Amino acid sequence: MVNPIHIVSISLGVAFFLGFLRKANHNLTSTIMLLAFAANAFISAQWLWAFIYSNTEPFYIFTAGFRPPYSISLLMGRNEAIFTFLINIAGLLSGIFMLKTYLRHGVYAMMAFLGLILGLNIIILTRDLFNFFVFMEVSSIATAGMIILIKNVKSVSAGFKYIVASSLISILLLLGIVFIYYFGGSLNIDDMITNHLLVSKGAEVAVFLVLMSILLELKPFPANGWALDVYEGSLPGIGALLSATSATAVYFVLNKLLAFANPYWYNVVAVVGMISFIGSNLLGIKQKNAQRLLGYSSVGQIGLLLVILGFSNTLGEKFEYIAFGVLISHYLAKSGLFWLAGIVKQDNIKNWAALQKKPIFLFFMGVFLFTLAGFPPFPSFFAKWQLIMELSTAGMYAWVIGILFGSFLEAVYLFRWFGYAMKGEHNDLPMFELPWHKILPVVIGVLSVFGISYISKDWLPGGTSLNFIPLYFIAFMYLIDFAPAKVKNTIVILVITYYSWLVIPNYYNTDIIRLIFSSIFLIGAILTLIPGYLKKGSRKGFYPAALLMFSGLIGLVESTNIYQFFFSWELMTIGSYLLIIRGKYSMPHAFKYLLFSVGGAYFMLMGFGMAHAGQASLSFDILRTGVPYSSIIFLLIAIGFMTKLASLGFHIWLPGAYGESEADVAPMVSSILINAGVFGFIILMTHIPDANIGYFNIPYMLGWIGVISALVGNIMASLQEDARKLVAYSSIGVMGYVLFGMAMMSHLGWLTAITYTINHFLFKGLLFLAIGGVILRTKTFNMYEMGGLIKKMPWSFIAVLIGIITLAGIPPLSGYAGKWLFYNAIVLKGWYIQGAFIMFAGIIAFLYCFRLIYAIFLGQLKDEHRNIKEASVWFIIPQYIIIITIMLFSAFPQYVLNPIGNWLSQYFPNNALVWNGSLATSSLGYWNAFNIMMIVMGMFVVLLLFLLLVNRGSKKVGQFDIVYAAERPERPETTHMAYNLYAHYNKAIGFLITPWITKSWDNISEWVNTIANHTRKIYNGNGQAYALHILIYIVIAYLIINGGLF
Amino acid sequence: MEYIGLITGFILVILGIWGFLTQKNILKMIIGFTISDTGINVIIVSISYLKNRTAPILNRPDLLTDTVNKITDPVPQALVLTAIVIGVGVTALMLSYALRLYQEKNTLDINNFKDLKW
Amino acid sequence: MGVFTKIPYVLLGLFILINYGLLVTGIFRRISARIGKRIGMPVYQPWINLVKLYAKRSSVYHGIMFYLGPVFRLGGGVGIFLFMPLIFGSEYFSNFSFAGDLILIMYFMFFGMLGMALGAGEGGHPYSAIGISRGLAQFTAIELPLTFAIIAIAIQYQTLSLTEIVAAQQGGITHWVLFTNPFATAAGMLSFLGAMGASPFNVVRAPQEIPIGPPVEFNSGFLAVLRTNAALLHIVEAILWMNLFFGGATNWIELFIKSFCVYFFALFVGTVFPRFRVDQSIRWYLKVPLILGILAILYIKFI
Repeated sequence: MVNPIHIVSISLGVAFFLGFLRKANHNLTSTIMLLAFAANAFISAQWLWAFIYSNTEPFYIFTAGFRPPYSISLLMGRNEAIFTFLINIAGLLSGIFMLKTYLRHGVYAMMAFLGLILGLNIIILTRDLFNFFVFMEVSSIATAGMIILIKNVKSVSAGFKYIVASSLISILLLLGIVFIYYFGGSLNIDDMITNHLLVSKGAEVAVFLVLMSILLELKPFPANGWALDVYEGSLPGIGALLSATSATAVYFVLNKLLAFANPYWYNVVAVVGMISFIGSNLLGIKQKNAQRLLGYSSVGQIGLLLVILGFSNTLGEKFEYIAFGVLISHYLAKSGLFWLAGIVKQDNIKNWAALQKKPIFLFFMGVFLFTLAGFPPFPSFFAKWQLIMELSTAGMYAWVIGILFGSFLEAVYLFRWFGYAMKGEHNDLPMFELPWHKILPVVIGVLSVFGISYISKDWLPGGTSLNFIPLYFIAFMYLIDFAPAKVKNTIVILVITYYSWLVIPNYYNTDIIRLIFSSIFLIGAILTLIPGYLKKGSRKGFYPAALLMFSGLIGLVESTNIYQFFFSWELMTIGSYLLIIRGKYSMPHAFKYLLFSVGGAYFMLMGFGMAHAGQASLSFDILRTGVPYSSIIFLLIAIGFMTKLASLGFHIWLPGAYGESEADVAPMVSSILINAGVFGFIILMTHIPDANIGYFNIPYMLGWIGVISALVGNIMASLQEDARKLVAYSSIGVMGYVLFGMAMMSHLGWLTAITYTINHFLFKGLLFLAIGGVILRTKTFNMYEMGGLIKKMPWSFIAVLIGIITLAGIPPLSGYAGKWLFYNAIVLKGWYIQGAFIMFAGIIAFLYCFRLIYAIFLGQLKDEHRNIKEASVWFIIPQYIIIITIMLFSAFPQYVLNPIGNWLSQYFPNNALVWNGSLATSSLGYWNAFNIMMIVMGMFVVLLLFLLLVNRGSKKVGQFDIVYAAERPERPETTHMAYNLYAHYNKAIGFLITPWITKSWDNISEWVNTIANHTRKIYNGNGQAYALHILIYIVIAYLIINGGLF
Repeated sequence: MEYIGLITGFILVILGIWGFLTQKNILKMIIGFTISDTGINVIIVSISYLKNRTAPILNRPDLLTDTVNKITDPVPQALVLTAIVIGVGVTALMLSYALRLYQEKNTLDINNFKDLKW
Repeated sequence: MGVFTKIPYVLLGLFILINYGLLVTGIFRRISARIGKRIGMPVYQPWINLVKLYAKRSSVYHGIMFYLGPVFRLGGGVGIFLFMPLIFGSEYFSNFSFAGDLILIMYFMFFGMLGMALGAGEGGHPYSAIGISRGLAQFTAIELPLTFAIIAIAIQYQTLSLTEIVAAQQGGITHWVLFTNPFATAAGMLSFLGAMGASPFNVVRAPQEIPIGPPVEFNSGFLAVLRTNAALLHIVEAILWMNLFFGGATNWIELFIKSFCVYFFALFVGTVFPRFRVDQSIRWYLKVPLILGILAILYIKFI
């Protein structure tokens, strides 16, 4: 094997040699430089391979013919191999990325670059403190030289601030090292560790100086203004290098040196990291400059890594996995994003909309952002999961909260940025250039992310249990994204059909709940995909997103432990976010949706962590009454599900997200996705049936939340002018019923909730499909701009009619089943007041039901719609499949409800409902669905025949032939009474829907922004102030540490 | 008196840092840096000082026996050479930056270079 | 008794009630005229109107939903009738109440309302839409106290079956809900005012503002069907309230008397009070009647 010392010799040799080639062709010199990096990377890779696959012993290199401590020694161990490999690969890719720059600036720039990478390699390998200092300085000087590869006032002043800060730090570092030598008598790290040389009081101060200097090199908030300026002011390629290599190397050094420090230093590191993680991510929220934003994110990520390092003893054997997962994600994603910044060349994050000109780059950006934010299937997800689980096991909940809070803040700015890139206005933006040398590193970065993801899941306990097969299919769909939408639609429908055939029958007779939900998710997927045949072109990006969502959903059903559940939950979140943001004006709504989803998921994660604490297993059984804090676990996880159910308080994302999405996406998200929350509640509540905090029964509170959601959702729906918003608000209302039903924690309550879930899936899918089909024709969402469409679109009309009859719970359709069960459940449970109000909400539903059908289909036809056609057949087909389902469910509910009742009996033993054929009998009343259906149909036919008889010879008259004071109406617009139809209702009880929840969320976000904005004023741009921050930071740290806090 | 080098070094370091942090003129800041750098070098040399010993140069025959107890610590003296070289490098870099900054804005006042902030 | 042998009795009951409803309508008009110091129309006038409307030869319609509207409406009325046990203890006149309980009747009211709303909606007359929007809005508020009253009754008797509710009230006047839970009765009767659409809650059809509102476009045979339904529906609603609060009826005479009294409660209130605007009536229902409803539950639960 090649001796690692050759990393040094090659770099140095090439750097010197290049000096002779000043006049030579720069293509030649830059190739030599890249070859040097490649050789270095090869050496590291070779060692890495040896360490992993042949368990080689760590390799010491002694210089100058003496043994340490009388000489400098280098060590190549497994970790050193990994880190030098990362550094050298980053060097290689960065070199390729900045090829143009090097060609322009010639050998000096290349020498500086070689110096930087050389320095970083050595500080990783070295076991000698002073040697570390020297090469730290070498890389600093090289960095300062490279910052001004782009010459403008920004980069020069940023570079100067960098030197000011780093020279101050180096003074302190050198001071510390000298005194370590003074007190310890050695400069060799191993010597210090094995012989415990640093025990005296004076040595502690020296160690303090050394470790603080290294921490400061990691740019801890708030002593990091200089670093942020460098990120912003220098070339993106340099930003990538700083963030991916320098930070990585110094992080490694810190880990190396902590070994000889007093154990309390681990706590110091954790605290420094946490402050940095939260503070930096908070300030990032106000940031508009892309590179500076990445700088804030870098600082935050390093902060998280410091936290992990600080807890390395707690994390035990998982430490390496967790740290590596976060580090590699940061390394790849951050350099990838910096490179993208170098490609787009737009400072303002809003102008990243230019990426839309090359959608593949949006995909790259998305991969990097989701990697940073810790979404599956990327390594940071697995690492974060393990981190939370381990910290929870150790009982460090405050830290868990901090980490999740910081991660949430990070998601805020990352996804706002992504939203701008995905949906911003890009027509005025220039197309960016795409030289091969800039694309190559980005592509390699993306591929590496996926490669590492694939590897890292296998390393994790339980990781192999994750179902990656759907992900492979999604990847395949992305590869054929260029194909016509119709072809892809067929493939997807066939595959989902096949998958349904594989999955659904398994649950038949074994697990009715999973049978129902897998049917909703998979068959719903097929139904809502059918309208996709309407799309022309290739519909880029739609299928991977939809499949991500559906695979997440079915993953929830198939999951058998909390780990699989959370994995699927996050997949679903990504997919649904990408679907929702496809709408024309969806950007802010999708952003809100994502924030609520991420926030909810973090609550859930915290709950799972608490449940997992102290129990080795990951299975759902660890959620149960009796484990410590089971009520708090319940509450945390419930909040996660409530964000998906859009319960009041967490609902503000829903109307926009559903309302603005594409015509066939709206039914996907509103009738299918929303059920994920219901399924979650079923899992949660079957395991923790009883949750009390003090005297508060949590399900009781959830019940009230359900009532208020139902009321507010329904009133809001009644007051909408936009048809899509109306249907969207109605979802809030119906999910309020479902939450209420679940919260009752009784046999009938649950039966009601599940019946409502099934009904909601059916009628909401039906309504959104019908409305979507109509809107595609009318080109307007405002109901008052439609009218009279029954004559043009009778099929859609019938669909909406069936939909609203089911929704309103009018017999004989299946909606009535829900109402009847509700009455029984309420009376038996004893929740009379809430129950009456929820029935009240149900009646309010009539208002919007009528408005929806009347304002669109009845009343006066508008002139511009005289030649309108029926909605597309691709929308009509799934509607009528749903209608048939509704009819069957209405006539024969017993085939569904009876098995559910049997399943419920294991949780709520009283046999509350007895089925006798189609006759259901509760202890209060009875209901015979089939008989009602027959009686109503018979009666209807008889009466219709009667009327036909009475009115034979009745004549149909024209549109304006109405009783109008013996006059003709003016125009359809003025005659169609639809705008502000329920003004009086608003006047009467509009006060109930004062949007104080929206306002409070707005206020919270306003406060956060204000705090961020004020706090970041400390970065006043003055290099001296930054140096002062460093000094103050050290002084305060000294006072705290030696003041006995640790 | 054996600590005079150490004390002087510290005074220089603190003075230098003071200047570094308070002087608005970039050149004066650089001078501040070099002062504190010198201070560090003095400290390094002074910690190698051991009472009643001589420099670690084996120019006298009596030093060849029991050398370890007769000479001062040679390591810091070796280190200081490197430290000085690095200090020079950093100073040179700073000066070239000062030149660049002056070329950009025709001023050497550090307060005028706040283009990047927040 | 089989379903099919029941049909003749059901039709008989239907015939009796429609005629009784017409009679009561006639009396109603007569009495309210007298209160207004007018003579009023003959008591048999509703029959004359009905015959005239059914016999009209010219008739126009606006579309299929318009055509089906009256069918839905009458279906709603007949449906409630079909699921309503009329005479307690009589198998012949229990109709099809075996198919569903009180909740079915409650929700079947919406069947007719919705159908009518849709039919009137297709008529395209703005007054229809105004009337419907008023009616639906007001109805939400009207239902709230009634819901409380029904829940109170369900708590009291632990049943939602109308037959059993009536059965539980047998054995003397003090067993009526009127006395066992006066709050529920009060809330229910205030709801009844709205359900009957009499003044002060008749802004839905407000003849002076929006000439009879929803049915404004309906003519001849369509109107006849609506009139038939009105006669039937009002009396069936009176019977429902009678069953709920006043002990039901064990024979036809008792049914006539009790339902007449219930019906005329609405009349007397209506002739005294002027009309509310919709927002006023909604807020009115959300005050005293709502409190009465809550009291009804508290009363039965804790006293």
